[in-house]
Parts: sequence; structure tokens; C-alpha cells
Amino acid sequence: FKREFVLDEDDIQDTLWDLEMGLLENDIALSVSEAIVESVKNELVGTRRRIGSDTGKIVEDALKKSLYNIMSANTFDFDEYLKNAEKPVHIVFVGVNGTGKTTTIAKMANLLQNDNYSTVIAAGDTFRAGAIDQIESHANKINTKLIKHQEMGDPAAVVYDAVQYAKSRSIDVVLSDTAGRMHTNVNLMSQLEKVCRVSSPDLIIFVDEAVAGNDAVERAQQFNDNIPIDGSILTKADADSKGGAAISIAYITGKPILYLGIGQGYEDLKKFDPQWFVDQLFE
Amino acid sequence: MVMDKLGSSLQDALKKLVNSGRIDEKSVNDVVKDIQRALLQADVNVQLVMNMSKQIKERALKEEVPSGMNPREHVIRIVYQELINIIGEGTEINLEPQTIMMIGLQGSGKTTTTSKLARYFQKKGLKPAVICADTFRPGAYHQLKSLCDKNSIPFYGEEGNEDSLGIVERGMDKLGKYDVLIIDTAGRHSLEQDLIEEMEQINSIAKPDKKLLVLDAAIGQQASEQARAFNESIGISGVVITKLDGTAKGGGALSAVSETNSSIAFIGVGETSGDLEKFEPDRFISRLLGMGDIRSLIEKA
Ligand SMILES: Nc1nc2c(ncn2[C@@H]2O[C@H](COP(=O)(O)OP(=O)(O)OP(=O)(O)O)[C@@H](O)[C@H]2O)c(=O)[nH]1
Ligand SMILES: Nc1nc2c(ncn2[C@@H]2O[C@H](COP(=O)(O)OP(=O)(O)OP(=O)(O)O)[C@@H](O)[C@H]2O)c(=O)[nH]1
Ligand SMILES: [Mg+2]
Ligand SMILES: [Mg+2]
Repeated sequence: FKREFVLDEDDIQDTLWDLEMGLLENDIALSVSEAIVESVKNELVGTRRRIGSDTGKIVEDALKKSLYNIMSANTFDFDEYLKNAEKPVHIVFVGVNGTGKTTTIAKMANLLQNDNYSTVIAAGDTFRAGAIDQIESHANKINTKLIKHQEMGDPAAVVYDAVQYAKSRSIDVVLSDTAGRMHTNVNLMSQLEKVCRVSSPDLIIFVDEAVAGNDAVERAQQFNDNIPIDGSILTKADADSKGGAAISIAYITGKPILYLGIGQGYEDLKKFDPQWFVDQLFE
Repeated sequence: MVMDKLGSSLQDALKKLVNSGRIDEKSVNDVVKDIQRALLQADVNVQLVMNMSKQIKERALKEEVPSGMNPREHVIRIVYQELINIIGEGTEINLEPQTIMMIGLQGSGKTTTTSKLARYFQKKGLKPAVICADTFRPGAYHQLKSLCDKNSIPFYGEEGNEDSLGIVERGMDKLGKYDVLIIDTAGRHSLEQDLIEEMEQINSIAKPDKKLLVLDAAIGQQASEQARAFNESIGISGVVITKLDGTAKGGGALSAVSETNSSIAFIGVGETSGDLEKFEPDRFISRLLGMGDIRSLIEKA
């Protein structure tokens, strides 16, 4: 009469499959889902379990732990960092088209001002029609300084000017907008590298959206390869999605998710909480 | 990169099927599994993929291989037929006077596509004009106006006025003499109830002939739910997939048309007004599956 048994692959095959489908339905990219499920399998197979224990529960717990580990790897305390960093702190926001960079900058400036930091925004998207008007309108509403040049001007020059401005006026934080671009566009990616080279930012933040699917992996990787990012922000998390893209992005870049965008208002920026995030995935 | 590997593994699996010379369950399972992976990686709805692969498996085993056709050709043809069944031939946007309303999630590419469509009609010799009904996003007016100005396309909008319904009414009145009216609206998603209601009101005032849902090629599993909600709310006539110039495969659009019984009209392949292409089902399917040209594969087989 054995009290324990050894978990083998057959015992957990079905549960693993169900969980993998669950991950996919929550927009965790296929390659990432497979890697996670594989690692859970390797961790569990061959371990001893008490007879009568619920294998479904064992697998789910292991999966949760694995997801939590991915999401909390390299945590980065943004508040603490800002408090201690030499000013001005320069943050550049990058990402593919339409993910929410400009809006996130406005939300971030608002948040920082509420915490009594002074901010200046660089209108570094000189390319997209109406981009300068958009960020100017945000800057006016939240009452923060904007540095802008002409449409089609050199983005590196705008960003450089904003940093100089912050230095000369003792402004705490520079938030630089950049034009959305496809990670496959070689010219635009090297332009972005130049922007970052000229202004040597303290932080580069990759902005993507919670509604993105498998492509999140591809673009996060390409951006991170071209201009190593320090963390990511995931927007549009209010759009009825569980935001599995966050897991894909954290997994592939190894960098933390800092905030979630949860609406179009200035207050709709929420600190990312790995535990909360993983728990809501399983709701 | 990933897709290329997947594509070639799919082709390896299909090759095995040829070499085996006959259809057996094991080899069909292998191929179907690879097709499943390709579709999931392309963001096709998980449930839809499971239903499709079941159907493909059944048909591949049950249907007799037509004479002169090898097993590989047989399976590809079934996959192709199943996909075409869902995608259809594409929404025809006729070159005639009409009103078109653009709708979709935030940042999906509505405003850019509005100006691309206007340019498309202009090049075909019609007289398009554009109305900006997005009174929500800061800078929306300037964005659309500046895009229209570049191609001298008549534009109506009221900067600073938040009454989108009034703007649509006055815009349609002012621009009534133009052939094609395109109305750009604010981005929204299914949970933003007041914005969904605003869209319904614009729809009942403008009575557009066509309502085009603009979908980002990278949208994931939300595509079905969002498309369902938009369709339920005002009905959609067709889909435009944007940002196909990146690496996203656009499988969300497949889920969306399956959910709403609509089809795809155009694809966006860049940020400028010329970057709009007619939707071609064969090319789209090839891309979804990560295989080369599926037509020539079928024909070569
Ligand atoms: N629902 C919702 N909408 C958002 C959120 N963040 C941004 N948006 C909306 O998404 C749209 C695009 O946002 P932008 O800030 O212009 O995006 P971007 O990345 O700067 O776009 P490009 O500069 O064109 O690449 C706008 O309509 C925003 O209001 C969010 O967290 N939730
Ligand atoms: N690379 C690429 N970018 C595109 C394409 N279509 C649109 N964009 C870009 O995507 C971003 C968002 O496009 P918009 O037209 O502003 O999107 P929208 O749906 O009007 O956004 P909201 O009004 O905020 O909801 C911009 O940076 C566009 O230049 C495309 O086909 N390819
Ligand atoms: Mg922007
Ligand atoms: Mg717009």
C-alpha cells in the first residue's frame, strides 16, 4: 500500500492541454504558451504526490507560480528609482503604431505632477499627421511644458532640446514621445536608435496594447534588440481582455511591466501588480 | 522568422503525406496539428481553430481522394476550402456614390484609412469628401484635416465642438454634392457604453451605405468579441485590416468575419495615403498559414 505515486506525463497531459488552450484564449502567444507549459511539465513529471491529490490543482498551481515568476522577474520600483535618480530623468516612449504612446505620456506627466515632480514633454513624433497637435492639446490640458519643432523636423533635435530645457530649468522629468513605427522598418528603427543615442535616455519604455495577440512577442523582441528597453507599459487593458500580451512581452524581453493603461482619461494609468495580474487570468 | 520555420514544418508534414502515398489517420493528424499551430500563431480565434481542424480532419479522412490528386494536394485543398468558406471573396466597394462610416477600436487605423479610402476614390475619378466625427481624441480634427489637405480632399469638421451628431448632420448637408462621403469616428471598444451609444446615434443620422470595421492586424482573441459587439450595435458591412506591413498575420480579421458573417474589403500596408490594397483571399490565406503562395502549391501538387 503506497501512500504516494509518481506523477507521469499521462496523468497531466489533458490538464496541460486545457491550460495551454486557456493561455492562448487569453492572448499569450503560442510560442510563449508552449514554453511555459513545457516548463511546468518538466517541473512536475517525476515528482511524488500523495494518492488522492487533485492533479488539476497541482498543475494549475505550478502554472500560476511559473507565470508569477515571469511577471515579477526583474521588478523595478519606478517610484523609488525616480526619487533617487539624478535629475532630470529622461524617459523615451517607443512602440508600433497606435498602441497608446502619446496618451500614456500625458497620463504619466499627470501622475508625476500629482507627485510633485516637474515635467516637460518632447513632441518627438514629427511624422504622423496631427501628432504635434495631439500632444500639444494634452500638454495644455494637464498644464505641462511642451517642446516642439516643425512637422517633419528631426525628432532627435526635439528630444535634445527638451533635455537641454529640463537641465537649464531644473525640471525633474523629460518625457519624450516618438512616432509609432513597425519593428520591421529598418530606416525608422535606425532613426529611433539615433534619437536614443543623441539624448542618452535614462529609461526606454516600450508601449504595447493589451488587445494584441501573438505579434506582441515579435515586436517586443525586435524593439528590445534594437534599443534595449527598460520596461513596458500595456494600454487598453480596459477593453475586456485579460492582457496575456503582458506575459508574452515580459517573457521575451525579461523586462518588467511597469503600468497598465485602463482607459482614455488622464487618471487611467495603474501600477502593474504581478500577483493581481496572474490571479485575474485564472478568474 | 518563427512563421518561416512553422511554414516549412507545415510543408515537411505535407511532404510526409505525399511520401506515405495514402491518407492515414496519423499523417492527417500531423498535418492538422501543424495547421492548428499556424492558425493559432496567426491569432485566429482558438475555438474557431479547434472547430476548423476537426472539420478538416474529418473531411480529409472521409472524402475520397479525387483521381489524379495526391494526398497532400487533397489536404491542402480542404484546408483552403475551409478557410475560403469563412473569408469569402472579399467585400466589393463599388465605384458609385455612397456614404461610408468608419468604426473600430482605439488606434486601429480608422483616420488613416479614411484618408486612404478617399484617395482611392479620387484616383478612380470619383469626388470623395470626408467628415471628422471624432470629437473625442485630442488632435483628431487636425490629423484628418492635414491628411485630406495633402490630396486636396474636401473636409468637414468643427474644431473644439464636441457635438459629433450635429457635425455629421451639417457635414452631410454641406458636402452633399460630392459622390462619396466618408465619416471618421472616434475609437471605442465594446465596454465603453456611452461611446457605443454615440456610434449608434451617428449611424442613425448618417444612414451610411457601408460600415467598415477597421481592425489592427495584430489584434488577438478580442477580435471576435469586439466585432460581435460592433455588429450587434450597428451592423458591419466589411472589414479593413491595417498594419499588414509588419509581422502580424491578421488572423483576428478571420475571427471577426466568421463571427459577423461579413468579409474583408481592403488591407492597409503603410502609413501614407497610397498604402491601401484590395483584399486578396489567396494571399491572405498564404500569409495566415505561413506558406508560400497557396494557389501555386495547389496547382503544383
Ligand atoms: N480604451 C483605451 N484607449 C486608450 C488607452 N490608451 C490609449 N488609448 C487610445 O488609443 C488611441 C491611440 O493612442 P495614441 O496615444 O495616439 O497612440 P500612439 O501610440 O501615440 O499612436 P501613434 O503615435 O500614431 O503611433 C487613442 O484614441 C487613445 O485615446 C487605454 O488605456 N484605454
Ligand atoms: N505601418 C502602418 N501604420 C498604420 C497603418 N494604418 C494606420 N497606421 C498608423 O497607426 C496609427 C493609428 O492610426 P489612426 O488612423 O490614427 O488610428 P485611429 O483608429 O483613427 O485611432 P483613434 O482615432 O485614436 O481611435 C498611426 O500611427 C497611423 O499612421 C498601416 O496600414 N500600416
Ligand atoms: Mg503618438
Ligand atoms: Mg482616429
